[in-house]
Amino acid sequence: MISLAGRDILHSWGKFVLTGVGLGLLIGATLTMAGVYRGMVDDARVLLTNSGADIWVVQKDTQGPYAESSSIRDDVYRGLLGMPGVAQAANVTYLTMQVRHGARESRTMVVGFEQGQPGEPGYLVAGRRLLRGHFEAIADVKTGFKLGERIRIRRHDYEVVGLTRRMVSSGGDPMVFIPLKDAQEAQFLKDNDAIIADRARTAANPALNRPGVPGLLDAVTASQTINHSVNAVLVKVGAGDTAANVAQEIRRWKHVQAYTREQMEEILIEKLVATSAKQIGMFLAILTVVSAAIVAFIIYTMTLGKIREIAVLKLIGTRNRTIAGMILQQALGLGLIGFIVGKISATLWAPAFPKYVLLETADAMRALAIVMVVCALASTLAIRAALKVDPATAIGG
Amino acid sequence: MDDGIHIEGLSKRYGAGDTAVDALKDVNMRIAPGEVVGLVGPSGSGKTTLLKCLGAVIEPTRGRMTLGSEVIYDSEQGGWKTPDLRALRRDRIGFVFQAPYLIPFLDVTDNVALLPMLAGRTNGASRTRALELLQALDVAHRAGAQPSELSGGEQQRVSIARALANQPPVILADEPTAPLDSQRALAVMRILNQMANQYQTAIIVVTHDEKIIPTFKRIYHIRDGRTVEEAGEGREIS
Repeated sequence: MISLAGRDILHSWGKFVLTGVGLGLLIGATLTMAGVYRGMVDDARVLLTNSGADIWVVQKDTQGPYAESSSIRDDVYRGLLGMPGVAQAANVTYLTMQVRHGARESRTMVVGFEQGQPGEPGYLVAGRRLLRGHFEAIADVKTGFKLGERIRIRRHDYEVVGLTRRMVSSGGDPMVFIPLKDAQEAQFLKDNDAIIADRARTAANPALNRPGVPGLLDAVTASQTINHSVNAVLVKVGAGDTAANVAQEIRRWKHVQAYTREQMEEILIEKLVATSAKQIGMFLAILTVVSAAIVAFIIYTMTLGKIREIAVLKLIGTRNRTIAGMILQQALGLGLIGFIVGKISATLWAPAFPKYVLLETADAMRALAIVMVVCALASTLAIRAALKVDPATAIGG
Repeated sequence: MDDGIHIEGLSKRYGAGDTAVDALKDVNMRIAPGEVVGLVGPSGSGKTTLLKCLGAVIEPTRGRMTLGSEVIYDSEQGGWKTPDLRALRRDRIGFVFQAPYLIPFLDVTDNVALLPMLAGRTNGASRTRALELLQALDVAHRAGAQPSELSGGEQQRVSIARALANQPPVILADEPTAPLDSQRALAVMRILNQMANQYQTAIIVVTHDEKIIPTFKRIYHIRDGRTVEEAGEGREIS
């Protein structure tokens, strides 16, 4: 038996392919939305992996620097290093800000880290690691900065000496890594007018500017301009110890909050990305319904255009299941063309998106299955119309 | 009579009660194998209803129909003798319509071969049969063409080939010459007569067409649901 659906598709392939391309672009948008969500989750995981930490020690009663503001003293790490199970502990700061490069600005997350300690970018795609204690930076390639360029962070210029990849914040902002001391200064630095005003206020305070205590005013002024806070301490656990046990001990003795990798991942994915995931989920649902409506409309219209032929087919003895099969196969064919076009489109345009779009094969397979089911369901309206055609209409009268 | 089609006391009533309409009243017809008869009558006389009853598309109210040597409908014995009217139409009845109604997405060969394929014959055997009929109808040279590439006369010949594809004992032709000019209309009638003779098929031609009425040897006039048989001119078609 010849394939009626196949012949019909070949006969009007132009219309069919154009319709499939239109549907494919819609499916491509759907796949991209799923890819955006996957990208956000993957970014969160990469962020945690690249920090090289087993435990994040943050301000008590906060959820850590990725989720909310956290500030702890920069000498907490010393106490942590003395605890059993702690192999390494290092301060880090995170600050989301605009970094200037000439007339151009780039929104970035500036990370302050200590060389050779957790928090340092794991690998570079170009350039070298930081060798000097000040005014050198490593930037993610997404910032658009080039090796050797000078970028401005607050009042200082930094030379880009290294480039890294896939280092973005939970919000998708590319990271710029600078020495911890510079980052602390940048994070808490006041502008010149504010410093002058503070100094004047301190000098006018008789309690802090006593004639009989020389050097007091200078000491107080110096303490106001030095920052001793960081956002978190990253801890690496020694061999043979578990992160959960060490984190429990830290929480017990140090009056700080300590999160293991699993807990931090939960905060990032379950809490930070959750709203975006729901948003994307809504889009996916709407796009699926729209795709189904389009397929149903197209197949229904195509079937109505063949009512006379269907009546003749029924009159000359074609079984209902053959006619239903023809319509179903056309709907599935349309879905298949749409899926192929959608997958190719999503793959082509994904790199152009500002945020990382992760197109997973498993998602594509799921999408294919959903497209096929949606097309099969959408064809039922047309099948119903075809099966209701009275073969007597072919005779007329 | 062992072959052809035999209709006895066929009636069809639409509706019930005061609004009932008797479209066919005690119709009797007998067409022998290889015979082509005309069925003529004004609009609303019951021609199409009779065609639909003969074509197993609608069920008569009363009467008996015999196709070949087999009773296919008998109101006294429960109506249709087969539950599968689709198979009955496919295997035992050929249809030729006013417009050819070829399937636009199948080429000429497959339009004809479709019926044997639907009946379960292999694609190869079905296409061989189709080409044989196309040869007989002098359209074999268009075997690979799409219906839209054919002239009106060629399309009608292909539709006749399709009607003959499963070698049915009867063909029902519903105004097959209506859209054609005199020359082409007579050509179609010549083909129908040839095919009836060659394949021993009984052919009923419903028509209004004055050009072809003189070609019938026998004509059934239908008026207000009743048929009257009369001899036709049986004019030779040159």
